[in-house]
Amino acid sequence: MTIKNPYLSMDTFTCVRCGLVVSRQAPEGRPRNHCPSCLHSQHTADTDCQSRMIPISIAVLRNGDWMLIHRCTRCDELTSNPISGDDNQLILVRMAVRPLAQPPFPLEAFGDL
Amino acid sequence: MPRRHPVRGVPQRAKDKRRDNPGDAFRCVGCRLDVPFHAPGTAHRNHCPNCLTSLHVDGRIPGDRRARCRGRMVALSLSVRPDGEWMIIHSCLACDELSANRVAGDDNALVLLRMALRPFGARLPQRALLAL
Ligand SMILES: [Zn+2]
Ligand SMILES: [Zn+2]
Ligand SMILES: [Zn+2]
Ligand SMILES: [Zn+2]
Repeated sequence: MTIKNPYLSMDTFTCVRCGLVVSRQAPEGRPRNHCPSCLHSQHTADTDCQSRMIPISIAVLRNGDWMLIHRCTRCDELTSNPISGDDNQLILVRMAVRPLAQPPFPLEAFGDL
Repeated sequence: MPRRHPVRGVPQRAKDKRRDNPGDAFRCVGCRLDVPFHAPGTAHRNHCPNCLTSLHVDGRIPGDRRARCRGRMVALSLSVRPDGEWMIIHSCLACDELSANRVAGDDNALVLLRMALRPFGARLPQRALLAL
């Protein structure tokens, strides 16, 4: 029999992708719902879905802050969540740069933006 | 604007025959442009090719027209599918719902590019980014 520590399960979650045990509170003091290491999440908001959500896009707020867009691998629902100071910067930047690295039109035409 | 790789994969199909009615266009709620539903390389067009604004009419499936909201959807960000195709993430100003939509062949390339550069603001020289 496993005794669940109610404080542990309330304060942390286990990443559905990489297994990291993550504090539900981000360093900024905000609640968080994605893993800071692999940036994956779980579809729990207003739903019984519970499936894995993958990070697919970086959105930018008016104040310049980055938001992370997740897509549910089962129901395709999209969600938007703030990033945290300890989120994996390499994955974030890679995702932000990706459209520019794979443009559907030649970027050279815009050399003088 | 010439496309480096034309849209790949399954060709898009017009799912809703009602869109073939006379007056086969919609007026964009963002820039008031009259937009024909049909354009080369574009089926079930759901956003304005000029300002990329859309209307919240679809549910989960693009083209299903199951949403009652009718709110204005603005282009929020870009995502790249595993096959390399760009997707526009739209956000509804009325209900906050998000949706992902394929870039159309005649979408405004400058508006798309500005959106691709948005995450970097003034932090990186845009010239360096374009040299990627
Ligand atoms: Zn993880
Ligand atoms: Zn889901
Ligand atoms: Zn428009
Ligand atoms: Zn809406």
